[in-house]
Amino acid sequence: MFSRYELGHFFDEMYRREDGGAFEHYKLLENRFGELDAQALEAKQLLVNEGFLEEGITFTVYGDEKGTERIFPFDLIPRIIPHAEWQQIEEGLTQRIIALNLFLNDVYHEGRIIRDGIVPEDVVRGAAHYRPEMQGVKVSKDNYIQICGTDLIRDDSGRYLVLEDNARCPSGVSYVLENREAMKRAFPQLYSNYRVRPVDNYPDILLDTLQHLSQRAGHAPVCVLLTPGVYNSAYFEHTFLARKMGIEIVEGRDLIVLDSYVYMRTTQGLVQVDVIYRRIDDDFLDPLTFRKDSLLGVSGLMDAYLKGNVALANAVGTGLADDKVIYAYVPEMIRYYLDQEPVLESVPTYLAWRDTDRAYILDHLEELVVKSANESGGYGMLMGPTSTKSERAAFAENIRAEPRNFIAQPVVSLSRHPTICENTSIEGRHIDLRPFILYGEKIEIIPGGLTRVALNKGSLIVNSSQGGGSKDTWVLHS
Amino acid sequence: MLSRVANSLYWLSRYLERAENLARMVEVQRYDSLDNNPSQTPEENDWKPLLYATCMEAIHAEASERSGDTDVGRFITFSEANSDSIRQCVAQARENARMVRDQISEEFWRELNRFHLFVASDKAIQLWSERPESFYRKVIEYCMLLTGLVNTTIPHDEGWHFIQTGKALERADKTTRVLDMLAYQGEPQRSRLASALRSCSAFSAFKAEYRGNFSLENAVSFLLFSPSFPRSVRFCMRQLDHHLHAISGSSPGSFTNEGERLTGSSLAQLNFSSIGNVLQVGYHSYIDSLQEQFNQIGQQLFETYILLPLEIRSLRQNEPPHWQQHQQQQ
Repeated sequence: MFSRYELGHFFDEMYRREDGGAFEHYKLLENRFGELDAQALEAKQLLVNEGFLEEGITFTVYGDEKGTERIFPFDLIPRIIPHAEWQQIEEGLTQRIIALNLFLNDVYHEGRIIRDGIVPEDVVRGAAHYRPEMQGVKVSKDNYIQICGTDLIRDDSGRYLVLEDNARCPSGVSYVLENREAMKRAFPQLYSNYRVRPVDNYPDILLDTLQHLSQRAGHAPVCVLLTPGVYNSAYFEHTFLARKMGIEIVEGRDLIVLDSYVYMRTTQGLVQVDVIYRRIDDDFLDPLTFRKDSLLGVSGLMDAYLKGNVALANAVGTGLADDKVIYAYVPEMIRYYLDQEPVLESVPTYLAWRDTDRAYILDHLEELVVKSANESGGYGMLMGPTSTKSERAAFAENIRAEPRNFIAQPVVSLSRHPTICENTSIEGRHIDLRPFILYGEKIEIIPGGLTRVALNKGSLIVNSSQGGGSKDTWVLHS
Repeated sequence: MLSRVANSLYWLSRYLERAENLARMVEVQRYDSLDNNPSQTPEENDWKPLLYATCMEAIHAEASERSGDTDVGRFITFSEANSDSIRQCVAQARENARMVRDQISEEFWRELNRFHLFVASDKAIQLWSERPESFYRKVIEYCMLLTGLVNTTIPHDEGWHFIQTGKALERADKTTRVLDMLAYQGEPQRSRLASALRSCSAFSAFKAEYRGNFSLENAVSFLLFSPSFPRSVRFCMRQLDHHLHAISGSSPGSFTNEGERLTGSSLAQLNFSSIGNVLQVGYHSYIDSLQEQFNQIGQQLFETYILLPLEIRSLRQNEPPHWQQHQQQQ
């Protein structure tokens, strides 16, 4: 199956560029797939897709009035990460989430890092997701980010780089677990021969993480998952996690705030809620504090929260940590708070609010990726090399008008991985990796994470909303 | 249990029961119309009572005028314009299930999802046009499978009682509609009686009970009052009464809310009535009053278990409630 595989000028996860041979940890896989002809492979793929559809493992396509549901395309060839490589990633991510939490606690209280001139005050206060309401507020366990999804890519030498942190409501973990189930069914022997580290305890750790936040003593914590509702694209994941944790999945209308305490409405009356794993953004949490037109939130929730009567995971205001301008300062934060060198490097970043950087960006639009500081999901982005003249002109104008809102990075050619493409041919496609980091009593990272793959030839955009798919990620025991 | 979850379980179950009953009614109707008198158009002859009994007359007239398609079977089975078509009922059931996936078993969810994917597919329409009896049998079989899964894979606790509540109420309602259809044109022919009984799976049970003595009186009597036949109105109301008491924890024969009281009162009426009482007021009024009671019960349960006291007050003052009872009672 791999005989006609073309390497291209990228780092390939499976094949060495020097001699075209498979890396040691991919040899078993090469053999197993070598035994399959196109027909057998197609049959396996069909079976897996049908399984996803029948289980309802789907996402809703936005902007489609009929609420069409699609499965998230899944590729059968797993990505394999050797033990030592994963250890390094784990170390880097742990360091990073500690620093980000210290940073949030600092800027929402004393602001030492601002006073010491490491991060400019304007950058903090000017961030769209900075929440002045949180200034001076003590959050449960002094910890802000409990659940973080950090996107990693590999450059052309195979070095892992942090692309961005998702510190608000990162999604995708349900696919990690479901992809694993699918692979165990499709390739049981291969899976067991590889000695892969399991991922299925994620919901248990997540529940521990949530319960840890409860501030009501002497009472089994009542945790709930707050969803925007059935039409949200990640709704499947919300029900999935709630079911696996055995907690209630609630919508805003299921909750009510009385005398600054949060209750859920049950058939037997009101039940007090201690911890809310919210899967809606700050803006929609409480129409009394944030967006008045939000129907998703709960009136009075912020009041209860600020009084410490309910905990939210993640805390309000964590969006500051995944601001793309703040991102550029994370290596500095690690040095400042931890007195360590960052284990994982970041992508070099130009900040448009700095005059010199802005001039450089405007001169080099064709070579750079320009990102709006607060958009996610691959929106609000300019891919320099493939952009048109008018797109560049529009971005240039926006950058001049709102420099705080833009950053630029050189195009990093994401690593590629053999992927099943049209007519069951196997071709290289670009991938990234989103590990999920949980920070409760201690920090735990489930081995691997979501490997997203840009299914369109040549594309570097892995988001599910824009032609992305996913793979199972196998971290090996040793 | 969350009020919204109870509401979803209740409606999920009602929609499934509705789909099953519609499939039974349409299939029997379709089969009967094969023996049509060719001088009559199908609309005049057979389908009218069905549209009447399912309250779809007006909406069918409107939809067929717009689309030019007068086929009643297709309308009741697939129409997007008909919010109570079998296809829409299954979609609604599945939508409700999607909101409570943490409350139902994985097997139940998977089969319901498969059911929905099937009914929503073009394959379903193809099967329906080639072999309608196979299509309707498949719908009924899916419903029976789901009924079985509810009983064997979901804990018999509060949520399950809400599922059973929805089922009992919907089933009682649908049996009265079959009766309505039957009494539509005075004393019907023997074949019509047989069809009505078959659409409730009551043919053999009826024959055993009445030794084949077919009459409108006997059929009505059986479907209303049989103490042991599971689709008789009386039987369904006894079930409803039982599940409501299981939910509230109050003892049988007492009541703690208006829904329980109305159910008990309906049940007492059915327990101690005979066909003579029905004839006194006439079939239609009798059935009408039962259906009115069912609607009342549904509304009262909603106010007791789903709404907060605050919201009921605003509901009484005719303000739009913050929390709509978005599903419909027919």
